[in-house]
Amino acid sequence: MTTSTCPKFTIFTVAALIFQIIGLSLFVFGFFPVKPALSGVSGRESFFAPGCNSVENRTQTEMGLSPNELKSLYQDLSGIPPLFDRLILMVIDGLPAEFVLGKDGQPPRKDLMDAMPYTQSLLSSGMAIGYHAKAAPPTVTMPRLKAMVSGAIGGFLDVAFNFNTQALLDDNLLGQFLRIGWKMVMLGDETWLKLFPGLFVRHDGVSSFFVKDTVQVDQNVTRHLGNELSRDDWNLLVLHYLGLDHVGHIGGRSSSLMGPKLLEMDEVVKMIHLSTIQAHDHDQGRTLLVVVSDHGMTESGNHGGSSYEETDSLALFIGLKNQVSHYLSPTHNSVLQVDIAPTLALLYGVPIPKNNVGVVISGTFDSSTDDQQLRALELNSWQLYRLVEAQLSGLSCGDFACRGFFGDLASGSGECSGSIEETLCCLFMNAANLHNSWKYKKEKGSESRDDYRSTIAAYHEFLKTASEWLSRRVTDKPVSLHASGVVAMAVSCLIFLGLITCISREVYTGEKQHLSNSSNSKMTWCLEEGFILGVVLILVMSMGSSSMIEEEQYIWNFVICTLYLLLLRKAVQSPSGRSGSALLLKAQNRRSDVQVCAILLLLISARILRGWHQGGVNWTHLPDISKWLEQGGSNTIRLVQLTSGLLMMSLGLFALFLFVSKTKLVQVVGFFFLISGFLVLWHIMEYQDNALVSSNYRATLLAQIIYATLGIGTVGTVIALPWLMPIQISSACSKHKTNSSTSVSFDIQYKFPLVELRDSSYLIGLVYMLCWCLLQLLLQQPINSMPIFLLLMQILTNMLYCSYNRPQNKEWLEVALLYYMGMAGHFALGNSNTLATIDVAGAFIGLSSHSTLLSGILMFIITYASPMLVLLSMVMYISVKDTSYLATSQNVDLGHFMKMMLAFPCLVPLGLNSILLTAYTIVLLLMRNHLFVWSVFSPKYLYVCATTVCIYIGVFVVAATEIYTYMVLAFRRKLQVSIGNGVL
Amino acid sequence: MQEEKKKNKKKSYIAKASTAENSSRSVSALQAFFVHLICGLGLAIALWVAHNFYAINLVSDPSRTLRLIWIVQSPIVTLLYSWFRLDPERCSYLKAVGRGMLALPAGALVNALGAIVLGAPVGIEYLPKTINWSVLMSLCTFVPAASVFGSSWSHWQRMFAHTKPNEPLEYMICIPAHGAVIGAWLGAWPMPLDWERPWQEWPVCVTYGAMTGYLVAMVVSLGFVVVHGRRQNLKRD
Repeated sequence: MTTSTCPKFTIFTVAALIFQIIGLSLFVFGFFPVKPALSGVSGRESFFAPGCNSVENRTQTEMGLSPNELKSLYQDLSGIPPLFDRLILMVIDGLPAEFVLGKDGQPPRKDLMDAMPYTQSLLSSGMAIGYHAKAAPPTVTMPRLKAMVSGAIGGFLDVAFNFNTQALLDDNLLGQFLRIGWKMVMLGDETWLKLFPGLFVRHDGVSSFFVKDTVQVDQNVTRHLGNELSRDDWNLLVLHYLGLDHVGHIGGRSSSLMGPKLLEMDEVVKMIHLSTIQAHDHDQGRTLLVVVSDHGMTESGNHGGSSYEETDSLALFIGLKNQVSHYLSPTHNSVLQVDIAPTLALLYGVPIPKNNVGVVISGTFDSSTDDQQLRALELNSWQLYRLVEAQLSGLSCGDFACRGFFGDLASGSGECSGSIEETLCCLFMNAANLHNSWKYKKEKGSESRDDYRSTIAAYHEFLKTASEWLSRRVTDKPVSLHASGVVAMAVSCLIFLGLITCISREVYTGEKQHLSNSSNSKMTWCLEEGFILGVVLILVMSMGSSSMIEEEQYIWNFVICTLYLLLLRKAVQSPSGRSGSALLLKAQNRRSDVQVCAILLLLISARILRGWHQGGVNWTHLPDISKWLEQGGSNTIRLVQLTSGLLMMSLGLFALFLFVSKTKLVQVVGFFFLISGFLVLWHIMEYQDNALVSSNYRATLLAQIIYATLGIGTVGTVIALPWLMPIQISSACSKHKTNSSTSVSFDIQYKFPLVELRDSSYLIGLVYMLCWCLLQLLLQQPINSMPIFLLLMQILTNMLYCSYNRPQNKEWLEVALLYYMGMAGHFALGNSNTLATIDVAGAFIGLSSHSTLLSGILMFIITYASPMLVLLSMVMYISVKDTSYLATSQNVDLGHFMKMMLAFPCLVPLGLNSILLTAYTIVLLLMRNHLFVWSVFSPKYLYVCATTVCIYIGVFVVAATEIYTYMVLAFRRKLQVSIGNGVL
Repeated sequence: MQEEKKKNKKKSYIAKASTAENSSRSVSALQAFFVHLICGLGLAIALWVAHNFYAINLVSDPSRTLRLIWIVQSPIVTLLYSWFRLDPERCSYLKAVGRGMLALPAGALVNALGAIVLGAPVGIEYLPKTINWSVLMSLCTFVPAASVFGSSWSHWQRMFAHTKPNEPLEYMICIPAHGAVIGAWLGAWPMPLDWERPWQEWPVCVTYGAMTGYLVAMVVSLGFVVVHGRRQNLKRD
């Protein structure tokens, strides 16, 4: 595969791209399952069997009901009279159920038993029922609380998509309680306040920020307890104790602080229980105390993963009558954490939350009548059936319930098998039929205990199957999907790398042919190339560490500055001075001087960029330039903004008039650039000083005018420029200043529009970059205007450096340098790997009405300003490189030429990105049980995906522009030549 | 073909070097060993003095410790390397010492700029640390070269831009200097991590890295000197 034709090359590239896209989407959908949640909240339709359309219509009327009317309506419909009036939900953060209930049917250790005397006495006397409630990973507080109150297991993406609000918007228990007019009080972890803003009538939130504090956090909760217990104006009291989790984090499970902490919790339980008994006696209503923990902890006190120690959380119902002894075999008293939601909903007679996947804990209904127990199971089954129905469109068991009840007893005992739809449907029908026949028999007075038991068993079978299937849909990570995604990505990565090595070998041989007379070219690996590859390795390794991901900006900066220093070293090397005339030596000296100056400028601007935003997660409090400027007030910032705008415009005009042939065309482009620049400056002057005005109509209009000007200007330039570019034929060529045009034969100059292509690429690239920068000046935060200017300057300086490079210098090295520069700039603009740094405010500039799509696009433009700028600069880069020698080889044709010109600027970014993407995918897969998988690794993965999209767009723009320009120029040249021949 | 070219190049270098050798003192392996040993001991003594007499170390008081180290180390390095100056007939010992002393602040400036460019914090409270660190780095990198080569640009270029030393003296200058720089570069990696250790502060771990790199590189350079001496002996035979 030494030489490959252009079509073949393109096909390979496109194939690799498609592989990558397929792999990425397979992986993303496998790793971040989108939970098909039902919207809305359960109403009274949940007390009717699913499938009856007549009932659904009636739900409209309950809108007008007052909370009390709704409450009595629910009580009438549910058929289960609530046993309790009030609920105390006591959450002990991080308490493993093992501490209270023991493990494998054995009671807990002696010291733990002694630490909780009152709770143990309640358990042994049958006043309380305890369960091991298995939590789903990630075992971190907020998702677990959500699971407990909504019964649903959330996916990651719905966390990511709701990054601006943490409030729980899905149907949940607390929302249901609120609808029936409950008053709620919350004491403890302020996560509850984030989840349910404005829901509690009284609250005292404590922060879990100071992990070292194990005493004060809990005292802050308990100090209100006496007061709250004596009041009767609440229905739900949430207590969330953080101290035990903090004890675990400090000293692990067997910390010396653990015993006293457990004793303290036991005291709280005792205090609440005694007061509830008292309250019952005083006729303040019956109170149920539910003690739960959100997750367990490992031996060393950490949590987040999915080991037994971490997922083993507690669910303890104090106040329910219980006939069974409490150290049951693990099969009997282990439930799921999500089961708490439907249980509480049924106990209090509210509809089960819509997305619940839990199953009612049957032991909690032991004291109810047979009728009520079956009814609870029936309601739970209906709710799960509805959820299954929403996810399996093929599920339809007919409108059985509307047919009224008459059991087809024959079908009631069949074995269920087949597809999941059939199985679930059959199980559900079995249970419903048995229940109906039991009711029928009961009316006749001929019911038997066996019928009852088989009905219960049938319901449980359905519930278990449906619940397992539903929760597997959410938490199951389909290995095959992951594996195929990773394999596809790896394949595409290998194709890219293969293409790059292939083309660089080809370029090298071409070079050797070209430079054979000078005999000075040899294929050696220089230090910079080794370092560029080393950087990839460093990045891949750093991805495995969560703190390196948090502080990624340091890596990029360190690496890019080291690279500049290496280039500086190389530039100093250059005058070898052994061969050649004095003139050549002088030219070489001049070249190295310019290069040294360029690199020094790059180094200084890189340092300023690094100092602009502190960035990251851990060191954000340290001083930086942006904080210092912000202290100066809005006038200082506006001054900085205007200065950088003016500097940007002068730099742009300078670069424009550096352009060799000063035609009218350049003047027109310059004029357009000036106009749009002044429009942006006007916008800054008028409207930037406070954010409130940005919603103002005139500001919006001006922003829209700027969008239109920039858009029309850019597109117009790109389309018109190749047509208007003056074409020089024959004699004009030799006059034109090209670096090594002497060696290019006249024939080739004649055949290919090399000079014109370079000129138009230069102009188009410049227009792209300048327009992008002006757009950023408008959209970015005011403080970021200077970094944008510095980035533009860096890129232009880099172009200068590259143009002075020797032609045999490795092109891929320069493109990789540009790519790295773009990534360093990305972080210099204040971005990080957390979703919190996305600038949401800028995404609404110039939008007259709210549109998710448009503001999403603006957000993308703001976030990926720097990588996109670098990719757009590739158009200019193509013009800066001296490609004329490429055309000297024998097999010169259009395809070969395009390939040589476009291959590196397009393939190197794609290749580098594919390496990082593939590596990070594998890292994410390995880290899927890590404590920080949801807080650090997954957001970073979203950024990596977005970078990939950014690179696709950028590379597409570059390739399309170049191909279009080339086609037009070639067409015009052919035309002109044929006309010329005709005239002659 | 390529190898031949390389050989040719090497030969030309060796020819050049031999002319240089004539004008400088030749360095035996034993001399090289003692020079490196004394430099290394200088570092160790400075650290020991700081620990036992002033009760400070790099972590507790980086600025003063670094100052102590470079005050102890600078006469050692300057006096030792000046002995091996190029062209000893025309250039007196004192002149060599003087240019070594001049190179100390100049090299410190270059090192400080390099560190700041690579991300060393800028600020009044960091200034003494940066200055003391860069003087120490200058002692490891610039001062020996300045004492030996003076202002001979071609030597400097070959040492630091091309990294092509080819005689014992050049090994002794070039390799420890590169070792110190690479060590310092590697030493900066733990700085952004959130381990909350006091040694992650600038310039503590960078100094540790630089000193480790310097010591390792001295051993390597000694190895090169010994190998070079053997090869010369073989050739003579």
